[in-house]
Amino acid sequence: MTSAVADDVPAAVAVSISRGPRRVSGKKILRETLFYIAVAIVVLIALFPFFWILRTSLLSNSQVAAGVGGANGIIPSHLSGVAYKNVFTEASFFTPLLNSVIVALATTVVTIVVASMAGYALARLRIAGAGPILAFILLAGFFPVLAMIGPLFLVLRYLNVLNNIYPLIIVYLVYTLPIATWLLKNFFEQIPSELEDAALTDGATRLQVLRRVVIPVAVPGVFTAAILSFILAWNDFAFAVSFLTSTAHFTAPLAITTFGQSQYQTFYNLIDAAVVIISIPIALLVLFAQRRIVAGLTAGSFR
Amino acid sequence: MAAEVSTTEKGRPARTGRPGHLARFGRPKRPGRPTPVGHARERGDRRLGYMLVAPVVILLLAITAYPLVYNLWNSFHFDNLSYGNLPHNFVGGANYSKMFKSAQWVSALERTLVFTAVTVAFDMVVGLGLALMMHRRFRGRGFLRAAILVPWAMPTVVSAMLWKTMFDPSAGFVDYILGAFHPAWSSIAWLGASVWRSWIAIFIADSWKNIPFVAIILLAGLQIIPNDVYEAARIDGASWWQSFRSVTLPMLKPAMSVALIFRTIQALLVFDVIYIMTGGGPGNSTETLSFLSYNTFIINTDFGEGGAMSLVLVVLALAVSFVYVRAFRPQT
Amino acid sequence: MHRNSLTRWRAGAVAVAAAALATGVAACGSSGPANSTVAGGATQTIVFAESGLGTEGQQTQVAINAFEKANPNIKVSVQVLSSDSTTYLSTLEHDFISGSSTPDVFESDVTYPAKFAQAGWVASLTQFHPNMSQFFPHEVAAGTYNGTYYAVPWFDNPEGLFYRTDLIKTPPTSPAQVVSDAEQAMKTDKSLKEGIAFEADKYEGAITAFLTVDSAFGGTLNPQNVNTPGNVAALNWLHAAIYTSHIAPQAVTGWQEGQVEEQFVSGYTPFAINYPFVEAQPMVAAVKGHVGYIPFPAGPGGTPGSALGGEMLAINAKTAHGAAAWKLIQYLTSPSVETARAIAVGDPPSLPSAYTSALYSSAPYFKDVYTLNTYSAPRPVTPNYLQVSSDLQTLFSAVYANASASAAGAAFAAGASSIKSDANATPGS
Repeated sequence: MTSAVADDVPAAVAVSISRGPRRVSGKKILRETLFYIAVAIVVLIALFPFFWILRTSLLSNSQVAAGVGGANGIIPSHLSGVAYKNVFTEASFFTPLLNSVIVALATTVVTIVVASMAGYALARLRIAGAGPILAFILLAGFFPVLAMIGPLFLVLRYLNVLNNIYPLIIVYLVYTLPIATWLLKNFFEQIPSELEDAALTDGATRLQVLRRVVIPVAVPGVFTAAILSFILAWNDFAFAVSFLTSTAHFTAPLAITTFGQSQYQTFYNLIDAAVVIISIPIALLVLFAQRRIVAGLTAGSFR
Repeated sequence: MAAEVSTTEKGRPARTGRPGHLARFGRPKRPGRPTPVGHARERGDRRLGYMLVAPVVILLLAITAYPLVYNLWNSFHFDNLSYGNLPHNFVGGANYSKMFKSAQWVSALERTLVFTAVTVAFDMVVGLGLALMMHRRFRGRGFLRAAILVPWAMPTVVSAMLWKTMFDPSAGFVDYILGAFHPAWSSIAWLGASVWRSWIAIFIADSWKNIPFVAIILLAGLQIIPNDVYEAARIDGASWWQSFRSVTLPMLKPAMSVALIFRTIQALLVFDVIYIMTGGGPGNSTETLSFLSYNTFIINTDFGEGGAMSLVLVVLALAVSFVYVRAFRPQT
Repeated sequence: MHRNSLTRWRAGAVAVAAAALATGVAACGSSGPANSTVAGGATQTIVFAESGLGTEGQQTQVAINAFEKANPNIKVSVQVLSSDSTTYLSTLEHDFISGSSTPDVFESDVTYPAKFAQAGWVASLTQFHPNMSQFFPHEVAAGTYNGTYYAVPWFDNPEGLFYRTDLIKTPPTSPAQVVSDAEQAMKTDKSLKEGIAFEADKYEGAITAFLTVDSAFGGTLNPQNVNTPGNVAALNWLHAAIYTSHIAPQAVTGWQEGQVEEQFVSGYTPFAINYPFVEAQPMVAAVKGHVGYIPFPAGPGGTPGSALGGEMLAINAKTAHGAAAWKLIQYLTSPSVETARAIAVGDPPSLPSAYTSALYSSAPYFKDVYTLNTYSAPRPVTPNYLQVSSDLQTLFSAVYANASASAAGAAFAAGASSIKSDANATPGS
């Protein structure tokens, strides 16, 4: 996968484009410093709320009630793990987490299989109507979720699978298929067709080409599509809140909204502990896979 | 017949993707398995192509077309689940006229449109800035990109609850910082206490979560722009701003159109943030179209009027896509 | 050829959609009511839907185990639904709409029976000849629709005014005195953050908080006519607490029962409007043992104020086990079982006879609860309560966010007609 050339423009050159022959001047140092300050501010804005949640999750109940200030400042003087203990014991967060993992993984697997097939077909095989088909797939991604809830609810009820996480696997495909197909189509278009053509010339059938040549090369793109699908499926709330009704079947985002709330009470530290737990895998995934995610979303998008 | 590969001047192979022109004619390689001839290969490919595309299309149709048709049907009938004993009579356009005449719906429409316009404009500008930042090569760029992506990867409800905590007068950071400037500001109530303060909190939460996605898309657009165009501008003596305006922006058009479509539709359909942070309050002042339609389905269990509202949302989304696609005709 | 396959697809897709549509429409219609009972002697299993978590759920199970022992032919299967009331209601409604015969017995908030009755989802209790006079009358009224009983009171949660007996030596005897007491307390005790805490978030609890204060000003929440001087005065009092006397912080617009309770048990406020559960919470040393709990003191022309909350038990109209279901209800609402539950988890009994000396010695505050139960005012009993409630929630939250002193009066005047029409709405044709 080649990256676009403009990506390699070094900072210095970019700066000096506007000023003719290169000069290492005080002005340039100032601009560089300002730039790094701007970067720092952006990172702070992006990540500080998580720090705040982490901080709040490590407070005891009375500290939360006392509010922020004094000994309870940005970095509180006393930390307590009581919220985390309660998350798993009293509030049994483990079940929703497990439910979310099951659904997200299954959705991802289905998405990868289906989207790879379609992406390859749209990229390589000349189908009449490929344009409208792709347009429909993308449009389906824009369909308002709230417009789907009522009718889908009635269907699930008729099939007697309400309050069950497995139908969600199919429903979540509306989040994941459009973007995964688009991404994989772009990806397959970038694979040099000589590889396949050589194999075809040697007499392989199209299916054999798919199995032996394309799939091994497709791994990076599939990996990116898988990460994105997992994130999208993991994050759903609207469908979960409409179809799942008993706490044993909740997914994690749904469980969080009724979390830390017994009949009357709201415990911010408990809620935030759950938020931290649910966010850590996502954050780690993003941190380690950012290169893939960015590459996948950007490569070949706008040819 | 040798493979013909054309390249752009940058040495990247152009998309050939045309099966068939390389096939050997009439010379089977394996006994009993004749290699199809050129046109036959094309036909075989096409058949295979349809088979491969079928699952996606069928699945998406099932999940989207059925609700669409069902809502359309319902919107012309009386269908209220609380009165399950009553027949679902055809009521013509009654649901629609009730909706269009309802002051609550009209206000929700206005609010949704204003929110969309403001938020999309803001997010595009900031997103472009972030994209430019992420595009530069510098040490720590990977970390910057990761940091920017993390808010986007969070579930919307998590981000909404996160910001609800941040704006809480007692447990939140916003009042804590404001209190440092002016003691009276340390106990400002935001959500539910004032219309404009509620909107500010919602706006910040929504933008924080969605700007990263805009930035990534615009980054993709920036990456496509080849270096020699900038070189040419530099040789011509253009300033940074001039080259930005006459080189970068025009070539960013396809990326901007994609970002605009995504972001506009997201903003039009905003729901999770409103539900979590204000529940439509204070009063009705933060109700959006999606929130109103959710209420109609759930509180009023009125699937007839809910169907009508859903249809309007779908039409809006389609209209937006159509307008943008037309305005920014992409080259594909 | 490709055209053929496309048309084949399209036809197939349309067929799928049409089939699904047809089944959806068919599933939408419901059959007529039925209420049969199973012959005695055979073992039956009834499904009991409830929302109890933690200790409440455990206590329910204890009671059910005892019931099963006493009734060997009846097995009870407990279905725990969401503790979030909107989700809970949705789940129940979905079962009813689909004509399901389960749950046979279910827990119902005091505001639901009228709606269920009008929709034909709950069984009329006349056939079981219930003795309703043994319960607190207000809650019985909540379960009555068109003169017929549809639900039996299970627990009776009255909302009232908590106060700190160490800071407020004698309980206030008028709304004005509540304000002056609060101001005085705030002056003398600097550790207090506010003078009164109450629920003003945009949710159902804002209505009960209002109701607690309402009768003290002679107001009643009648959807046919909400714009009465009493109602306006009550809302004005709450509004003034925030914007005139400043004894309540504007942050109350984000408070529900939990935050209000937190403020009180942490010792930050001398007054709080809340439910009895507060008494059972851990409290800081300054608060412990210094808790008073009274109806909101009456002003001139008013009566002491309290709002009715709680849960009732009802029977699914389509159940096949009506007699067994009724037996369970009778058991759960019998005095000894209710007393045991109150001692164990603090749910106030719905029968006066369950307020025994054993209960008082285990938790003296139940004496106050008993008093409150005699005053507690129910919310409007109407099948359209959800819409009315939504209108009221909007009204209150708009007033609490508006600093203008005439906000309450203007809001009631403006909203009265739509509240009335929502309450009177009959299903269109």
